[in-house]
Amino acid sequence: MNVSVKRMRAIFIKDYKEFSRNYAISTMVLMPLVLALFYQNAGAASLDLYFLPVNMTFAFVTTFIQACLIAEEKESNTLRSLMMSPASMADILIGKSTLVFSITIVIVTLTIMILGFTPANLFILAAGLTISTVFYIGLGIICGLFTKTVMEASVAILPVMAIFSLGPLAMGLAETYSVLEVLKWLPSSQLIMLEGYSAAGNITDIIISLAVIAGWTVITLVIASMLFKKRLKDE
Amino acid sequence: MTAEINVEHLGKKFNEFIALEDVNFSVHKGEIFGLLGPSGSGKTTLIKVLTAQLDQNKGKASVFGMPVNEMKRVENKSRFGLLTDNSGLYKRLSVEENLMLYKDLYGLDDSAIDEALAFVNLQDARKKKVSKLSKGMLQRVTLARALMHNPDLLFLDEPTSALDPGNTHHIYKGLRKLNEMGTTIFLTTHDMAEAETLCDRVAFLHEGKIQAIGAPSELRLRHSDQSMIVELTNGEQHTLPLNELTTAERLEEWMRHQLIQRIWSNEPTLGDIFMEMTGRDLR
Repeated sequence: MNVSVKRMRAIFIKDYKEFSRNYAISTMVLMPLVLALFYQNAGAASLDLYFLPVNMTFAFVTTFIQACLIAEEKESNTLRSLMMSPASMADILIGKSTLVFSITIVIVTLTIMILGFTPANLFILAAGLTISTVFYIGLGIICGLFTKTVMEASVAILPVMAIFSLGPLAMGLAETYSVLEVLKWLPSSQLIMLEGYSAAGNITDIIISLAVIAGWTVITLVIASMLFKKRLKDE
Repeated sequence: MTAEINVEHLGKKFNEFIALEDVNFSVHKGEIFGLLGPSGSGKTTLIKVLTAQLDQNKGKASVFGMPVNEMKRVENKSRFGLLTDNSGLYKRLSVEENLMLYKDLYGLDDSAIDEALAFVNLQDARKKKVSKLSKGMLQRVTLARALMHNPDLLFLDEPTSALDPGNTHHIYKGLRKLNEMGTTIFLTTHDMAEAETLCDRVAFLHEGKIQAIGAPSELRLRHSDQSMIVELTNGEQHTLPLNELTTAERLEEWMRHQLIQRIWSNEPTLGDIFMEMTGRDLR
């Protein structure tokens, strides 16, 4: 794999400049913070509710912004110019993901701080959040590469937002509708369960939860890479 | 002579539409080669095949002696530059910021930006936001980006289509200089004047097929009816065959009486030849 830190840095700096001047997208980072403030005042009673703003950060910030950044590059034909430059697939994808990764980490940390949530084990939660961030970035890349315009991308990620942010809440209905049991395997559900297992000190379940999130991440990244390679051709 | 580009029996189809059919030609190292054809004739498709953006369905194509698929490799991408009709510039960034990105991607010095901007005569627009540029300026920035890394081979798709005569002349001069320094240039155009001014050899592409290849002067000569036109002071025009004694006698007669106003060759233009061969205009 041909990777250059200099090329990734160049793409990251360019994305940062573009992002900071694109208010329609950059203001999205405020949404989870507003939600967290609301929850702080209302008081969150369960882990599910504590993690709702966190999972929403992943959907509204990580996936949405990543999808829009990629879709905009496609829409304005700049992605093709990047592909024709010496930047490799890894340079482009990692360079373009670094900005969203950094923003996500900051917003998730702020959200947790505003909520006043104290994790049972900071290291385990940090691991879960980091892997989840990569997963949602991959999801954003897929949405961005599948769509042709920013407008299409913002519509395409709506089901993603609904399934991954609100999926864990729907698990409460699993006793009535057993089919909803499947939702516990969502990475967003596993993140909440990870915190529960961490509090209980259940090592096996912690590993299983982290492995499930990592599994989703690997599958997403493989699909994103395949789609990117397909987009190298202008068929 | 080494072939920088070699194309043999190339074919490309989009579903049932045949975009390129049995295309054969070579571009020699250090040459300026022009592909002339009207819109929709397959010029852009051919550039996309040669830069590995599209796969051909038939035949073979090689660039730098390697199959075109090798052009996707990072080390080969630095060897060519590409200007397309879609600018692919970041509209929220300035001209300099756009070029800065590519300067870093190609691993160049800061001076590469100054040189590229001077080449396209855009030093004054350095800090201008791309969204504020005119169509011609956008084309010049894209050209600056395509050649800032001094590629061995430059693909230019309609390089001056949006430029005014002054800037077109400036770009022609620059391209000639670049060519003298060793860059092979492959350009597509439907502007016959551009082809005649710039190209060492041209190929006519019509409905995906190459109709003729040769140096512009050679093609004109090949299709010339070997005659000249003489305009007299009274406005009369006479078409006279070349290399015939009767012509010399008539010219002598008119000259003696100081009746000749203008004489010009009756050679066809590249546009005339294209029209004669395909039955349609280059535009």
